[in-house]
Amino acid sequence: MSTLWQRRCTATDIADLVALAPAGDRLDATHRDAFGARLRSIPTMESRRLDAWMVEHGGHAGRGFVWSPTTARRIIGTLAYSRQHAAWSANAAVRDEIADQLASFARGYTRLGSLGHWLSGLDAVALSLVESEAVNWALQLLDVAELLGGSATLETTDGYYHVAGAQTTVRARRDFTINGPEGRVILRIRSGRPGKSAGPGLRADLVADALATPDGQAARRFIGLWPEAGLALAVDGTMDNLRSGARDLVRAAVVQRRERLTKAA
Amino acid sequence: MSSLTLVRETVAAALRGTPETRPLRDDATAAGLRAELADVVFACGASTDHPLVLRSSALRIDRGVAGASSFALLRGLYVAAALRLLVNGHSMANPLDELSVAFDRLGSEGDVAAMLAQLSADDRARLEAELRSHVSVLSRELGTIPPNWRPRTMVRSAVVLAGGALELRDQVDLVVGTHLSPVASLALLDVTTSPLGPDAERVMRYHALVSTLRTGSLPLRTAMLSSATGERWTVDVTPELLHRAVADIASCSTMAVAA
Repeated sequence: MSTLWQRRCTATDIADLVALAPAGDRLDATHRDAFGARLRSIPTMESRRLDAWMVEHGGHAGRGFVWSPTTARRIIGTLAYSRQHAAWSANAAVRDEIADQLASFARGYTRLGSLGHWLSGLDAVALSLVESEAVNWALQLLDVAELLGGSATLETTDGYYHVAGAQTTVRARRDFTINGPEGRVILRIRSGRPGKSAGPGLRADLVADALATPDGQAARRFIGLWPEAGLALAVDGTMDNLRSGARDLVRAAVVQRRERLTKAA
Repeated sequence: MSSLTLVRETVAAALRGTPETRPLRDDATAAGLRAELADVVFACGASTDHPLVLRSSALRIDRGVAGASSFALLRGLYVAAALRLLVNGHSMANPLDELSVAFDRLGSEGDVAAMLAQLSADDRARLEAELRSHVSVLSRELGTIPPNWRPRTMVRSAVVLAGGALELRDQVDLVVGTHLSPVASLALLDVTTSPLGPDAERVMRYHALVSTLRTGSLPLRTAMLSSATGERWTVDVTPELLHRAVADIASCSTMAVAA
């Protein structure tokens, strides 16, 4: 049975969710082969990326990705937070991060459509608005780190698993990892409030993270934090949840394929 | 001969107050407020099938957002963006032109561009002059907010209560401090382009209530600044103030469900 835990976003509740997490199950080569075979049976002419966002939106692709202060804030804010030192301030760190992105663009290290490329086209006022959103994100990370009591490690990159022969990459979104002798617990921060598909989204992240881990070991618990709503939802790293997450990812790929065929017709 | 000089306190100083006198963090009141709000939901007849969604604008009885002109909406959007820039230490010579170019480059404010294009030349000139005035008041009143106060702008909340029958949405223009320190240190500031009136008190209480429900602890104080007049109200958050906020929501919910 797949259980979805709901708690308030307080230090005590999150500490309980972490401390009482059961041991996670492990994906073996058979599971990986079966998942890969299902995705290879859904043909695609272009590279396909599957993640929790697609699962939460029923596989619908949406309007496509465009850079905006909101879409850029997580990357800039997370990298700014990772620059922590004794005299760290979110504003200065975000400015440094934006300056580094612009410097990379000036040196020709960024490709067309990248964050650095987009930032280079903005004036000082627009950059300041981007800075505000990124500062909000960096300070939110700081709040969550304090909530977790210093036991958490910031994840500066998401987990990725490429399914050979299916032109498919599965992405596991993660913001903090709490490592312990019995395994790891992963936290993901989201905006707004959790919707009805928040559980499937967490399960998709859980299985994507397990796939992206070389030995296939699932996290003991995958926790989604919605600080704007003051809520935390969590799923355990059980085989039931892993299977459910994998099924939802495959379903998302099927819907994506149907949409592309309809569009082409 | 002695001379008297009146030094006006900045918003930053008012939000900070006297750190030595701050109360201990109150984590106990939020649960009671949730229970009270659940009673409110039951009394007004909202349900998970027909959830009630409230925003701070619903408490502005004197001037409902439905009646706000596109001119006022535009002014509000530009002033909110200007506040973000001022908090970042960015000054502006011509807020309307500079922000319009920024919105255009960011490509995320299509409605703003359309509304701006619909303004007549006179209205556009009036907006430009008003924005200069509002931004001038803001920069004078705001003061310098140190980065270690953790200033966040346009902080959104969406708190769901009574199993989803009631959703309280909110956006606070400026939040400083943290809700995790042993003493209350979170301060909320809302900027309005209108003069302060009775509805401002309700909005201040609403911000404090939503923050309490979201974080589980009481903020230190809630404030409202009028960028039209420079007038500012600051109130320390107490359980009594939050109970009044629940009463505001009760009357507002009853009206909303009846409508």
